[in-house]
Amino acid sequence: MTTLRTHPVDRTTRRARLGIGLVLVLALLWTLVPLVWMALSSFKSGADVTSAEPTVLFEPTLDNYAKLFSGANNLGPYILHSVLAAGISSVLAVVLGALAGYGLAGSRMRGKKHLAFWIISTRMAPIAVVVLPLFLLFRGANLIDTIPGLILAYLTFNLPFAIWLMSAFFAQIPPSVEESALVEGCTRWQAFWHVILPLTKAGLVTTFVLCLVFSWNDYAFALVFSGPNSQTLPMAADQLVTQTGIDWGQLTAIGTIVVLPMIVAGLAVRRWLVTGLTLGAVTGE
Amino acid sequence: MGVVSLTIEAPETGQRAAPDRPHRRRGRFGFHGAMMTPGLLLLAVLSVIPFLTVLAMSFSRVRLLGGVSFSFVGLEYWARFFADVDLWTQWLRTLVFFVLTVGLEMVLGLGLALCLWKLMRGRNAVLSLLLLPMFVAPVIAGLLGRFLTDSTFGLYSWLLRLVGYEGDILGGSYSAFLAVVAMDVWQWTPLITLITLAGLTAVSQSVREAAALDGAGPWQTLRHIILPSISSVLLVALLIRSMDAIRYFDIIAVTTNGGPADATKVVPIRLYETAFRFFDLGYAAVIGLVMLAVTIAIARVFVGILDRKGLTR
Repeated sequence: MTTLRTHPVDRTTRRARLGIGLVLVLALLWTLVPLVWMALSSFKSGADVTSAEPTVLFEPTLDNYAKLFSGANNLGPYILHSVLAAGISSVLAVVLGALAGYGLAGSRMRGKKHLAFWIISTRMAPIAVVVLPLFLLFRGANLIDTIPGLILAYLTFNLPFAIWLMSAFFAQIPPSVEESALVEGCTRWQAFWHVILPLTKAGLVTTFVLCLVFSWNDYAFALVFSGPNSQTLPMAADQLVTQTGIDWGQLTAIGTIVVLPMIVAGLAVRRWLVTGLTLGAVTGE
Repeated sequence: MGVVSLTIEAPETGQRAAPDRPHRRRGRFGFHGAMMTPGLLLLAVLSVIPFLTVLAMSFSRVRLLGGVSFSFVGLEYWARFFADVDLWTQWLRTLVFFVLTVGLEMVLGLGLALCLWKLMRGRNAVLSLLLLPMFVAPVIAGLLGRFLTDSTFGLYSWLLRLVGYEGDILGGSYSAFLAVVAMDVWQWTPLITLITLAGLTAVSQSVREAAALDGAGPWQTLRHIILPSISSVLLVALLIRSMDAIRYFDIIAVTTNGGPADATKVVPIRLYETAFRFFDLGYAAVIGLVMLAVTIAIARVFVGILDRKGLTR
């Protein structure tokens, strides 16, 4: 890094550096103000939340959170549904995705390109297009308003994502690793389980986290498929929006509850995010 | 962000070794095939059956009462599709929304990545903070946008009042459209920043040194050296974002739901309305299939690029 700084290309003038600093400060404000404002508002009393002049200094209260966990609209079941639907679909996606991704990365079959293209196109299919037939199929199979229904719905985008991404992670492991394991007498499965798989722990975790974020944040599927027995957290937020008005104190509290775990999980895998979000097309660490 | 490399070279080595061992090749194929089977079978069930269903829906009148039933109506819905002036307007609006959001995200994302790239200290911390909106559920992003732009107590409305703008942001056609664009830009610019920065970090020092030795100024270096060398990464960012931009509809659904006066009614919103408000399922299927065709066309370009770079294994 020191060589970088002394080099003429990187000798940024004072003015340029000031400009860059200013741009980044503005970008940080634009990015963070809504989130900070949401978190702050969730600790405000009703009058402070909707005061015409923004209140920055206020007496913090846990009322909004307390209300969310008491009374008729207890948030508990929503959290449970979200954890079950997003968690189970992500685990299934990672397990099946790791197996299939390994197979895809190593396979030399003909038509592999077509297979790969089919996988990515199922991932990229607009959700609305998937919701439509699933709505009919789920009605027929009594899967509307069930957790298994949501898990299946989330697998429509998580499974192709996991297969494609895991195959990109497996492709980065040199084949000599597997070959030497085989020479030393491992079976194919042992080589995969004890040698290859541990090498791609980062890939597994990244795939899991991204699947979790996608399904946890889902609204389009939950809107159509979930009911009283399966409503997820984003639906809890949606339901606070009523004809008679919105309880913004509670809404910002739900928002904070929905967002915080995903931010923590997402930043935990930040090093591999580029790989994950570009489906392996760009890597950076 | 230390060493960054495009996976361009990596997968190549993966396949070279196999032809040397013909005796093992068949076994290898079988094992790989077996490993793929459970995932691909489930994926087939989850994609082929729905696809055939939506195809059938587009040629049928679907009845939901008393069990789901189809009655064949031929090309009726497809004929309606071509005569539907409203829908063409909505496609046009989708295109404008798409160009504005993706365009702004690309420009701002690239700009921020360049700034971050020049930042020597605290780069990772700033990047982490800038990435946060990506993890926010789009519903929450939309509702938060509504909160901030509320005409009586919204923080941003208050700020705009200070500079003289009094209108109800989500109440006016143009301002509502711009507001949903801004929310999308808020949420997805970080993705472009992240991808572009990875590309920039991979531009090798020797390339930049050579440019400096040739006496290239910072702008020339940017235009002739840096941008060309990250062009493929920029393209990947553009395509990934494009495919997702067509997928998402959550923000609009919870802020304006297509209003006011259809000002933000893009095609996915229209599809939801057609299907789940009017239960005109056959026609919704036609709209959906056309959306699918558009996405697949973009995905083809994406895979084509990966292919040319040797990125698809």
